[in-house]
Formats: sequence, structure tokens, C-alpha cells
Amino acid sequence: MSGSPNMSAGTEGSAAKGDPLLQIIGLTVEFPQFGAASRPALNNVDFSIARGEVVGLVGESGSGKTTLARSIMQLVPEPGYISGGRVLFEGRDLGTLGPSELRQLRGREISMIISNPRGELDPLQTVGNQIGNVLRAHTPLDGAGIRARALELLRQVSIPAPERRINAYPHELSGGMAQRVVMAIALACSPKLVVSDDATSGLDVTVQAQVLELMRDLVTGFGTSLLFVTRDIGITAHYCDRVAVIYAGEIVEEGPRDAFFENPRHPYSILLLSAFAQNERLRRYWLGDTTAGASRAREQGCPFANRCVRVQDRCRVENPERREFGRGHFAKCHYPVER
Amino acid sequence: MSLLSVEDLVQTFPVAGSRALVRAVNGVSFTLARGETLALVGESGSGKTTIGRCLLGLITPSGGRIVFNGMEMGGKRSVRSPEIRGKLQLVFQEPSESLDPRMRLHEIIEEPLRALGLDRLERERLVKEAARRVGLPEWLLTSYPAEISMGLQQRVGIARAIVSKPEIIVLDEPTSALDPTARAEIIDLLIRLQRELGTAYLFISHDLSAVRQLSHRLAVLYLGMIVEQGESAALFSQPGHPYTVGLLSSVLLPNPKIKRLTQLKLAGEIPSPIDLPKACFLAGRCPLAEERCRAVMPPVETVAPGHIVRCYRTDEVMRMEQAVDYFGQFQAESDRILGAGVPRDMR
Amino acid sequence: MHLLAYIGRRLLFVIPQLLGILFVSFMLVKLIPGDPAVMMLGPFATEDGLAKLRAELGLDRSILEQFGIYVMRVLEGDLGTSWQTTMPVTSDLAQRFPATLELVTLSLALALLIGIPLGVAGAKNNSGILRKIADYYGLMAGSLPDFWFALVLIFVFYTMLGVAPAPLGRLDFVIIPPDPVTGSLLIDSIIAGNWAALRNAAGHLVLPVLTLGIINAGPILKMTQSTTERMLQSDFSRYAEMCGLPRHVVVRNALRNALPSIVTIVSVLYGFLIGGAVLVEIVFSWGGAGQYAVQGVLNSDLNPVLGFVLYSAILSLVIYLIVDLLYFIIDPRTR
Repeated sequence: MSGSPNMSAGTEGSAAKGDPLLQIIGLTVEFPQFGAASRPALNNVDFSIARGEVVGLVGESGSGKTTLARSIMQLVPEPGYISGGRVLFEGRDLGTLGPSELRQLRGREISMIISNPRGELDPLQTVGNQIGNVLRAHTPLDGAGIRARALELLRQVSIPAPERRINAYPHELSGGMAQRVVMAIALACSPKLVVSDDATSGLDVTVQAQVLELMRDLVTGFGTSLLFVTRDIGITAHYCDRVAVIYAGEIVEEGPRDAFFENPRHPYSILLLSAFAQNERLRRYWLGDTTAGASRAREQGCPFANRCVRVQDRCRVENPERREFGRGHFAKCHYPVER
Repeated sequence: MSLLSVEDLVQTFPVAGSRALVRAVNGVSFTLARGETLALVGESGSGKTTIGRCLLGLITPSGGRIVFNGMEMGGKRSVRSPEIRGKLQLVFQEPSESLDPRMRLHEIIEEPLRALGLDRLERERLVKEAARRVGLPEWLLTSYPAEISMGLQQRVGIARAIVSKPEIIVLDEPTSALDPTARAEIIDLLIRLQRELGTAYLFISHDLSAVRQLSHRLAVLYLGMIVEQGESAALFSQPGHPYTVGLLSSVLLPNPKIKRLTQLKLAGEIPSPIDLPKACFLAGRCPLAEERCRAVMPPVETVAPGHIVRCYRTDEVMRMEQAVDYFGQFQAESDRILGAGVPRDMR
Repeated sequence: MHLLAYIGRRLLFVIPQLLGILFVSFMLVKLIPGDPAVMMLGPFATEDGLAKLRAELGLDRSILEQFGIYVMRVLEGDLGTSWQTTMPVTSDLAQRFPATLELVTLSLALALLIGIPLGVAGAKNNSGILRKIADYYGLMAGSLPDFWFALVLIFVFYTMLGVAPAPLGRLDFVIIPPDPVTGSLLIDSIIAGNWAALRNAAGHLVLPVLTLGIINAGPILKMTQSTTERMLQSDFSRYAEMCGLPRHVVVRNALRNALPSIVTIVSVLYGFLIGGAVLVEIVFSWGGAGQYAVQGVLNSDLNPVLGFVLYSAILSLVIYLIVDLLYFIIDPRTR
């Protein structure tokens, strides 16, 4: 059942409530370090995505957001490794799957779109060939069927003149076109979850807007779930149902979009938001004094303690538990911001 | 008299192995006054970086004039000429690439002073002053670029730019490689420095919310041509060119309730600067394009004092787009949201 | 078409390139001490006889004049005669150059057969047993002198086991050689239908080809391994991994992207081995072109050396042209 090809994603969408598509429980990823012990790249992360849901995961570079995105596919960048926790996809523990079972899953049930679209495509193969590779690996389609499906996909991602573009090589495409081809590849097997790892960060703003809209429309049209991993909190405000903020390998706040943006609880979430504010006094308050350089996360206590303007003694020794503040709105903070 | 004036600047580059030309800049004119910030806004291929390079005299324009302080740039005169040396500076997009990894930070900051014939003590004093102004602690100055964060590297880049007390700094996307918090700090820093030093900025960027915070005036570039130019605040609330509308509605402010909604959606992507459209460059992407847009290049029209637009259909654009200050709304909202939890005396 | 124009332009540059190469080698050979006239006439020559011979050979003229005369004759298709073999250099090389080409071509084919699969296997799993084998192989092949390895092979397979033919040339004396058409004994035997000669020539090729093949697989292996590894770590391979493509597809695409580097190293090896196989040729008394040129150098016999340089230069230029064509086929970005 679980291994069989499933070309019509979302048909199992009648699953009972409280049965998320993806559930990450206590996930910890470490990179071998010489010398002193340091914090893991991902520390005890709990996270879930429901069917058909669009979730944003926001963090700065080095926050662990890309590690989290790749851990979902069990592809932690080397030499990192998963040292604890589980990734459940439709109830299956992906950590227990063998290489060939994982290969069946990747690209078919969970697919990924990463940034630098032209680097993601093989420079020596045509667009059609590269879409075909995925279809050949995951579907019973043959020559003519593959070509027809590839054309259909190119049309779905609004590529003009697909009959011509199918024979194009990646270097002949603009960045936006290449990103659309990558989307076509990601959607080829109608996956249940699409992960976009900062996929639009290299694009021009007007093209980014087109691609984001396309992504959301295609995904919601097929009942697919979408995880936007990004450093641009603006994307999450406009394209996501739910937002999670990651800092130093921990999800410090998570909540439904409107609740999160109306009432952010964690000082780090507010710091991220204040980066766009014009009120310098408020901004300075939340940014704190960082001229001496952003301090690294401490070994113990709250990871944000060294940069937090609301820090108390307790924060330096005790890492706060995840607490629920409103329906589905969680934060990890001893002294969350109250309204 | 303005500090800098650019008249009908044209820049073409030959395409390797053919007779075709890349038309990077196609007749750009603007002025920059003392202490003012003009933002050049556009996407990749809009020619904004090329304009910056022409200004510094790093490349000689194919046509047009650049006059700085009454002196015409180009030909033999560039940033390296004695009469201009130190008066024009540049801050780069990628701090890590623009800083020599083998030099210590104080040596990097000192670089522009070497050609000015100052003695060692004077140079040292100026380096320390520049470092202090950008908030680099003195003990950090003996480090190497690789040892500090990107945000700090960009501060070093800015310190190097202000150390010779320039009259103009060309900021070439100084924030686009940075994380949000580092970006915010750099924007604050640039605003403060301008207040303190009165330097004029030419701010090249595609980050519109940074542009809104930093710039007094704004020129929107499309395929090496200014399609709209005016006061920032006015242009942000009441754009007159479909491309400006497209840019503004692509901005994703971090508040789900605030977004410029528009029927004016641009299709497709920027065409190649090798085969430029015959008439209006945007005609192929614009939902309002009609016969004359494809036939004859629209002239520059003044729609309000200091506000020019190059479009036949500005009236329709302005009628369709209500004058709404989305950025102002966003700021009001974010003041409210960010104000929670802040001690009353600090708001 | 771009390609034809490109080839045309390349060919235009061939003539000055060849002239340059010839000039440099002419000067270098002239710098070697030793008087051909003395060598030819032996220790009992009279001053008169020497002077006469020098005049006959043109050795009494200036070096530039000598070069000019040589070039004029080359243009007429005359590469001069070798005083050692007393034969025209063209007919000597017609026999010896194909002998070397046959040896080097087969050796490189073997080297490719060993180097590419081992290199790919090494790149695929960077900790497995195959990787260890590949690493050790690279080390060994890089450190073993080829002539010594040839001697070991002769000792084992000819002296001890007696399964290999004697290392005395390309064919046993009792075998009637096929009429020369291409100069390659294998091909000529097939053309002539001379199966005995084919079997015998193939037998003689085994040990020298093994020697050069096994040794030269080293650099090919290293290049294949490192480039394929880099390609497997590149974004497009990682993305293919994320798309769940079968491992063999991912590796195949990575190898395709590594091909230009492999083609480059093979072409460099090819050009190098034309002269660089000389020690192995001597060990097997191969009578190849390298051996011919070295004897020329040692005996101040200028014409064979220059003839060899000219042939090798032309061959190298042909090889580089083929390499460019291969790039053109492999990589759409060059089109």
C-alpha cells in the first residue's frame, strides 16, 4: 500500500483529523565537532504539517532550516547525522526505511525545490529528459507517455512554447524559467508534500511573485502540502497558513499565520519582524546591542539568551519548554511577550 | 547646482563573437543633490549596476555626460584622478568578496587614504574615527575579514567608504546578501551616517522596503531606461507606471493584512537587452499595452512637480491604483505590534 | 554552421604552428654536440672527406639557411634520409609510426577499460573496498616505472610460464607479414586474410599493451574518480538524489559531466605516449617511432628526429581537433 505508486495525491485526504501528513518528533541532528561540546544543528524539534497545508519555516542563515528541510527526506548534509527523534510521513517512520524505499519516496511522495535553479539541473541534459528521468523512476509511463506528461507539466507551470522548451538545455533558460522547470520536476509525480528550500531567493521580485503564486495555486489545486523554508518572513506572511520560526536549531515559535503576525510571542520573532520596521527606537530596542557581533548560542539554557533584550537569569540555565498560548500557537520562552 | 548630474547616459557592450550589442543603459538622466539619497531601483538587467560603474569612471560611457562637482567624468577622469580621489566611494553587494582576505580590517579601511598623501598619524586617526562611526570596536580592527560576520564585514565596507570623507557614496545593493537583522542594522547605520556626515547616496537596490526607508527620491529602471522618477513617498503611494506598480505589488511586507492589490499584473520576464523592443520596453508584459505602445516610444511626461513617468497610459494607471500608503500602514501596524512588551519610555 | 567554420579556422593555424614546432626542434637538435660527418665516416676519415661530406649535407651553411633548405624539402614531401638506416625517413616512419600508434592506441583503450570503471566505483562509495582498490591502484601505477613493469611481465610470462612470445619485435620471424596497407599489423592481417599473422601479432601485442595500459590507467582512474566525485557532490546530483532517481542514473549523469576532463587527460596521455613509450618499445624491441627518434638523437642523425617531431606534432593537432569535437558533442553549452 504505502509503496505503491500514487498518482492522485490527496485521495487519502479523508484521513482522520489529528493525523498529520508529516510529523517530526524530537528530531535532533548533530555535526561531529572537535573540542568543546556545542549545540546540535537541530535540537529536539517537534513539527508537523497537515494535509493540504502551506507552512512557512523562517530562519536566518545557519539557523538549521535547510538541515530540517533535508532531514525530512533523510538527506542530512554530510557529515551531519540524525542522532535522535523521528520523522513520520503518513505514520511511517522514515528513519527505518532502507535506501531503495527512501528512493521510492523522494520525488514521488515528497519532492523538493531548492534555490539556484540552474545549478539544480544537469547542464548536459534537455529539460524534457530531466523531467523524464523522474517519471521513468517513479511511474510506469513509457516514451510517448513521458513526453506527453512532460509537456503537460511544462504547460501547468506556465512555460510558454513548451514544445520548444522541452528540448532546451538549462543554460538556455532564464532563472525564472529554470525555476519553473524545477517545479515541473517536483510536481511530476503529484507528490503529497513539496518542500521549497529558499527556492525563490535568487529571483527578481516580479518573477518571484509569479513563481510564488504559481506554486501556491498548483499545490492547493492538487491538495498537496507545501513547506516554504525561507529567510524572507514576508513570504510566509502572504503565502502560508502557518508559520514557524527557527533559531539556532530550535523552533522557538509556531502558530497560525494571523495569530502569529498579530501577536508574536517570542522575542526573536519580534526581532525578525522589527527588521522591517521604520521606527528606529522600537527596532533598536528589539535588536539590542549587537555591534560586538552576533553572539553564538550558549551551550545551555535558551539558545537566544545571549541576544535577547528580555533575558533573565533563568534563561541562561534552563531551556524553556514548548508552551501553547492560543490554539496551535506555541512558543519556547520563559518570558513571552504579552499583549 | 546639483552635486552630480547625469545626462542622457548610454552604455553598450559588444557581445563576444557577434556584431550585436548589449544595450545596458539607454539614455538615463538624473541629478543628485548634496546630502540626498536617490535610489535606482530595478531588477537584474535593468542597468543599475552599470550606471554605478559609469559614475565611478570605471567604464567610459558610450554616450551622454556625467558631471560631478562641475567636472565632467569619463575619458581620463575617473575616481582615481587627483581632483576626484576620495570624493566618490563605493560599497559593494558582497562584503566577503570586496574585502581582501589577507588584510587586517584597519588596513582595509585605510586603503582609500593611501593615495591622498596624508601622514601616518592622520591616517590612523581617520581610520579610528570611521570605525567608531560605523560601530566597529577598536579591538576588532586587527582581525581579518574571515573572522567576522557578514554584517560586520559590511560595516567594514562602509567604514572604508566614509574614511576619505566622500561627497557621494554609491551603494550597490549593500543589504541584499545579508540576513534580515544584519540588513536592518546596516540600513539604520546608513541613515545615521548621512545625518551625521551629510553624504549623498546613490542607492542601487531591488529591496523596495529598504529603498523606502533610505531614499528621498526614487528612479525606477527598466532595461536601462528610467520609466518613472519622483519623491519616494509620492511614488510609493501613487505610482504612475505599470512597471512600478508591478514592483510595488511584488513587495512582501511581513504583515498578512497589508499588500498592494492590483489588476495590473505583469506577465513574463525581462526581455534580453540585446534585442530591445522597438517602442515601450514594457509593452510585451504590460496588461494595458495598446497599439501605440508597440509602435512609438512614449515620451517622458511630468505628472506632478518632480514626478516624471514614461507611459502613455499613466492616467489609467493612476485611476486604477488608489493612492494608498501601504508602507505607512505597515509601519503604523508594526509600531503597534512591536510596541507590545516594550517599556513605555522606550517606545 | 559554427562547427565547420571553427574547424576551418583551426586548420588555418596548423601551418604556422607546425613551422614553429619544427624550428624549435631543429635548433634544439643542432645544439646537441656531435658532428654527423664524423659519425658517418668513422674514425679513419680524412679532413678532405669530412669537408666534402659536410658540404654535401649542407652543414657548412648557416643554421638558418639549413633550416630553410629543410623546410623547402619538407614541402616537397621529402624528409631526408637517415644515415643509420640509409633509408628515406618517410619510408622508415611509414613502418615505425603505425607500430607505435597501434601500441599506444590499444594501450590507452585498455587503460580506459580499467581506469573508468574503477574510478567510477571509487567515486561512488568513498569508503568501500573498491575505493581502497582504486586508491592503491592509483598509487602503484603512479610509482612503478613502465620499463621495469615490462621486464617483470616478460620474466613471468615469457621466461617462467612460457606463454608469451619472445620480446623481439611485433611478429615472429617465421611468420610472413601481411602487405602493409595501414601499417597496423592487426588491421593489415585482417585485410589480407592472413590469420596466422593476426594471431601472432596479437600475441606480441599482449605484454607491451598490458604494460602501458596498466600503468596509464592510473592517471585516468584518478581523473575519473576525482571529477566524478565532484560531480556527484554538485547541486544537480544532489537534486537528482532528492528526486529519488535510481543510483545508477545519478552516477551515469555525473560521469557524463566528468567526461570532458577524462577526454582531456586521455588526449594528453596519447600525445605524450607517442614519444613516451620509448622505454617499453626498447624492452620489447618494438621498432617504434620513439625508439627511432631516440637513436637519431644519440647518433646526431637529424632527419629522423625532425621527421618524428613533425609526425607527432601533426598527430597532436589532430587529436586536439578530435577533443574539441568531443567537447562539442558532450556539452551543449559549447555549441
